[in-house]
Amino acid sequence: MSTITILVLEDEPEVRAAIARDLEPFAGSFRIEMADAADDARSVIAETLEADGEVGLILCDHLLPGLRGTEFLIELDHDPATAPMRKVLITGQAGHEDTIRAINEGGLDHYIAKPWTAEELHTVVREQLTEYVLAEVEDLLPYVNILDGPRLLEAISERGWDR
Amino acid sequence: MLGFSSGPDGRSTLPSVTTGPSITTRTPSRTRDRNALRTRRSIGLALGLFVLVLPWFLNLEGLSEPGHRMLGVFLMAIVLWVTEAIPLYATAALIIFLQILFISDQALWDLPAGFEAPTSASYFATLAHPVLMLFLGGFFLAEGAARYRLDRNLARIMLRPFGDSPAMIVLGLMVITAAFSMFMSNTATTATFLAVVLPVVATLEPGDRLRVALVMAIPLAANIGGIAPPVGTPPNAIAIGSLEEAGISVSFIRWMALATPAMIVLLLFGWQLIVRLFPASTERLTLNIEGSFDQTRPALVFYLTAAATIVLWLSEPIHGVSASVVGFMPVVVLLATGVLDSKDLQKMPWHVLWLVAGGVALGLAVNDSGLDRWLIDQVGWDAVPVGLLALALAFVATSMSTVISNSAAANLLIPIGLTLTVSGTVDLEPLAAGFFIAIGASLAMALPVSTPPNAIAYSTGALTTGAMARVGLAVGVVGLALFVFIAPLLWELMGVSP
Repeated sequence: MSTITILVLEDEPEVRAAIARDLEPFAGSFRIEMADAADDARSVIAETLEADGEVGLILCDHLLPGLRGTEFLIELDHDPATAPMRKVLITGQAGHEDTIRAINEGGLDHYIAKPWTAEELHTVVREQLTEYVLAEVEDLLPYVNILDGPRLLEAISERGWDR
Repeated sequence: MLGFSSGPDGRSTLPSVTTGPSITTRTPSRTRDRNALRTRRSIGLALGLFVLVLPWFLNLEGLSEPGHRMLGVFLMAIVLWVTEAIPLYATAALIIFLQILFISDQALWDLPAGFEAPTSASYFATLAHPVLMLFLGGFFLAEGAARYRLDRNLARIMLRPFGDSPAMIVLGLMVITAAFSMFMSNTATTATFLAVVLPVVATLEPGDRLRVALVMAIPLAANIGGIAPPVGTPPNAIAIGSLEEAGISVSFIRWMALATPAMIVLLLFGWQLIVRLFPASTERLTLNIEGSFDQTRPALVFYLTAAATIVLWLSEPIHGVSASVVGFMPVVVLLATGVLDSKDLQKMPWHVLWLVAGGVALGLAVNDSGLDRWLIDQVGWDAVPVGLLALALAFVATSMSTVISNSAAANLLIPIGLTLTVSGTVDLEPLAAGFFIAIGASLAMALPVSTPPNAIAYSTGALTTGAMARVGLAVGVVGLALFVFIAPLLWELMGVSP
């Protein structure tokens, strides 16, 4: 089993630091990677997949140099290798049109408006990672304590047999 | 855990943040785990292969040619089931395959004249052994119970009489968990009821030891409850299936009569232990289980079928229809009425059945090949007192299954225990031997790895290994004494002695 990566794509250093700080509770069980541009994020994803790892969640800003966040998320959703990744937009500036398109094209699982609270971010990350491990991971036990325990236990109950 | 660490290629992940929080990658330790796993697998496979072929180059006195071949298979089974170099069920399939290739009428290498080779069909048949049909019936009931949330709905009603004092709630949870784990898998029952309990645990003060009590009570009760009926847990099925191959049939109610009284006493002991070791600081506790009974037609069909199955299992002495035939009834009814369909059929844990089949097949071939008689001759059994032998069988089963799978331990020990007793080498009834080994395997609950229920409870983070070990060891030791020394006295009184 490989450690699941949480990828943060945000070009402003201060915002990136704030997200990183709020992700701290997840740092023990997940690998957290930072990227400041789409190209950077692409290479993190490529490297992670190459090392047999998986990116479970991306937290993505909307206004990025050269590319809109929604565009990038749609791009990720169209690639079978990155489609299972849960995709969250953190932004204050995404217009309706971009957002609606991202939702319709399957590129967006959740939208966090700036400014966010630590608690809000925790809830969203927990929920999205829970969705991810339920869909993609066979052994759920390592996540009971850190993600949505009761939901994971329900799934374990369906899958679990004596040995 | 200071500062940002770097990615796999050493790229600095966040150079611009200097006062950043601690974000640490755990890749190195996970990689180490994975490498350790790979090493263990390679060693297990190499060693398994070595012991498999070793007897072919030996000439053991008194052991026939087929016996030599089976000795290799048996030793390989030990290595593979202990190391889990390949999945448990794959080892079971491999055993059946090798037995066919080595000692059946389809053997690849000539067998000595005079050896009556068993048919390959007789080994394949273990994959559809009657005891597996009994278990399959149990799986169908469990699947339906989960689908219509019968477990939670009944739990809601059953919990009411226990009131709201923490100690009584713990007892109520244990009784209900044990009751469900009798007919559903211990693992599924544990996960279901921990999901009910966790939200309550989260509302308790961090220092309240009731948290530990609630989370510990459930796997303990599930492990104990599984002991009672034949469908409770795979070791019981392995014992019953192997006994049947040896010509001894055990009815559902007979096994229940042997196991239930001591099981109840052990459950109460476990309850007292938990509430004393982990007393609550809260005085009142409410446990809300949400939901309502599903009253759609398929749900009603299911309730009726489940009730009928259980009643028929328990009333075998009246109607004489064996538990495996009864077990096939819910399979037929639920599929025919469309309550469960082909998707559900595919979802059944066939690998659990195959693991049991592997154990039954192993016992069968150890006997066919004459390996059993040779093994017994290696030890002077006459001097061993019966009580001590029963305790030894159960104790070895408990010790082994503390670290390896309960089913694998039962698979390896039951052929030996039955050989000893069926041959009359020792003065212990075969049923008692099979029973003690199966019970012994289920009494292993000292460590998180001992059983899946323990692993699930441990994963919640509410328990330390130490707390689990204290309770698990005490219950294991008391359970062994109770089943081996006290239960036989009860059997005398009840007139059900083997």
